[in-house]
Amino acid sequence: MESILFLIFAAFALGCGLMTVANPFSRSPVASALFLVLTMVWLAGLFVLLHAYFIAAVQILVYAGAVMVLFLFVIMLLDLREEELRTWNRFGVAAGVFSVVALLGVTALTILRSVPAAGAAPQLEGSTHALGAMLFRQYLLPFEGVSIVLLVAMIGVILLSKRESK
Amino acid sequence: MNLTLLGPELVLVLGGLALLLVDLAVPAARRHLLGYATAGGVALLCLYFVANHGAGGAAARAFGGMFVLDGVASFFKAIFLLSGVVVLLLAADSSPRLGGGITEYYALVLFALAGMCLAASANDFSVMYVALELITVTFYVLTSFERSRAASLEAGVKYLILGALSSGFLVYGIALAFGASGTMSFDELAKHSPELASNRLFQLGVLMIFGGLSFKIAVFPFQVWAPDVYEGAPVPTTAFLAIGSKAAGVVLLVRLFGFAVPDLALHWEPLWMTVAGVSILYGSLCAIPQRGLRRLLGYSSIANGGFVMVALSTMSKAGSAAVLFYLAGYLFTVLAAFLVVGVLVHRVGKDDFSVLAGLHHRSPLLAAVLAASMISLAGVPPLAGFFGKFVVLRAVVEQGAASHAYFWLAAVAIVGVVISFWYYFGVIRAMYWGGDAPDLTPIPISPTLRGAMILCLGGILCLGVFPSAIWEAAVAAVAGLGI
Repeated sequence: MESILFLIFAAFALGCGLMTVANPFSRSPVASALFLVLTMVWLAGLFVLLHAYFIAAVQILVYAGAVMVLFLFVIMLLDLREEELRTWNRFGVAAGVFSVVALLGVTALTILRSVPAAGAAPQLEGSTHALGAMLFRQYLLPFEGVSIVLLVAMIGVILLSKRESK
Repeated sequence: MNLTLLGPELVLVLGGLALLLVDLAVPAARRHLLGYATAGGVALLCLYFVANHGAGGAAARAFGGMFVLDGVASFFKAIFLLSGVVVLLLAADSSPRLGGGITEYYALVLFALAGMCLAASANDFSVMYVALELITVTFYVLTSFERSRAASLEAGVKYLILGALSSGFLVYGIALAFGASGTMSFDELAKHSPELASNRLFQLGVLMIFGGLSFKIAVFPFQVWAPDVYEGAPVPTTAFLAIGSKAAGVVLLVRLFGFAVPDLALHWEPLWMTVAGVSILYGSLCAIPQRGLRRLLGYSSIANGGFVMVALSTMSKAGSAAVLFYLAGYLFTVLAAFLVVGVLVHRVGKDDFSVLAGLHHRSPLLAAVLAASMISLAGVPPLAGFFGKFVVLRAVVEQGAASHAYFWLAAVAIVGVVISFWYYFGVIRAMYWGGDAPDLTPIPISPTLRGAMILCLGGILCLGVFPSAIWEAAVAAVAGLGI
């Protein structure tokens, strides 16, 4: 059952990811952004399969919700036209190919070197309960500090984007 | 849990929130009065704090050891609060220039002060990072506050990009250090300091953290932003950057290398010496051709950051006490200079050497304060800067017995001082012997700024003539260091 679900989620995540960057039907940035939201939702499903419920919830709330709405706002505010076909930048292509090959190499090396674990799979740490207890007990001071950082950032954005009244 | 230890931070944050609310009830024409009220409040807080914690005393911890209030933290908090008072007075005086949202400026200064006080007490990587981000994010806004002026926005963008880069270094360094040691607490790190000192991964992490902190202090190799940002930002912000932000970086360096990983710090003497020597020479040499006071002070701040690193490079208690004393002297000196720059920029419109001509006719007080500040920066007796440089060099020469490299470092520092005479006295020459002044109208100074200038002048003189009280306080503050 789980492996079937995994295949479904993974296939849809990959498909939506592909549609984000290489949509054959539309070149509108808004369509790309919406497909990115769908990719995030399918990824959240994958996290649920891993029993990482907190990350799954955050994935939907923060990425699919807040971040993508922000993306859409920026895209609509900037009023981007349909993306024109870009010319290939030789340095960009070389850097892209290099990064992909390097990342694949590191991943393959890690998988090949790893010893298959014997016995039962280890229990995943980081349940929502443990995380909340840690944030509000051990790390209360930096947590509250972050809230002030966010407040300052918000004040700053409003101030700097506001038009001078005089 | 002892919440009273966090008194200054709590008062500052609550004060900032209260300001944001009070702003709604105050008419726009009277909002600059809020600035004076805020400055008065911070001054009271500073006095109260010094009266209660000025004597140092044993280190007290809160939040499971994440927060520590000891001699070093108290000393730096007094520096931060004092600089906050002068910055708020300067901001209240220049409120027409800062434009709308002036109350937010005061509130942001309070939040930055809270971040600095938190940084002084940070005893854990997570608190250290949050405190630094609070300072840096606030400064992004404070730097670009004059949003109708392109120079201010340019300074803000430059500070933002380099600040984000340095934050990246800092976080990556913390991640590596955490990965190698398994803890973020400075107390835990101090227990395992000898083993960790030889761990390559941990070394790389701490090196990157040092990179992130050296951006705050504006020393080599993260010094490039200083002159441009100093020139473009509003003058109160520049004054705050020059002392508050720099001191916040310094206190974290002292905390990290003096308390948490002293063994590592002792292995890295060549690194400290290189950073210190290159910063002094770079700052001093690049300041020579400058014709604007703010750019000159920007390069001078790099050289002064170098002097702080010279004192830190000794990794001794005498060196750390010298750092504290040097910053106390630098506080008054650089604030005096920026008070004059603030008046010049707001009343005359620029801070070129050309407007300095005949300044002693137009306003004898401005000329006297700027002259005292330059003489103190140059390190001529009997002012604060002289004694600061003296204790730094004495600490270095004392270490010379351990390694001859310290004599070379002292020589480089003295060369830097000699070069700096050239441009500091250039300012004084432009004021008193600058030839014919095009304009001899007197420059008006508000009574509050006059008071702030006299306070700074008094500080420069007192620290130079009667240094023993502050020097003893600095020595007592560093008594708990692990080096």
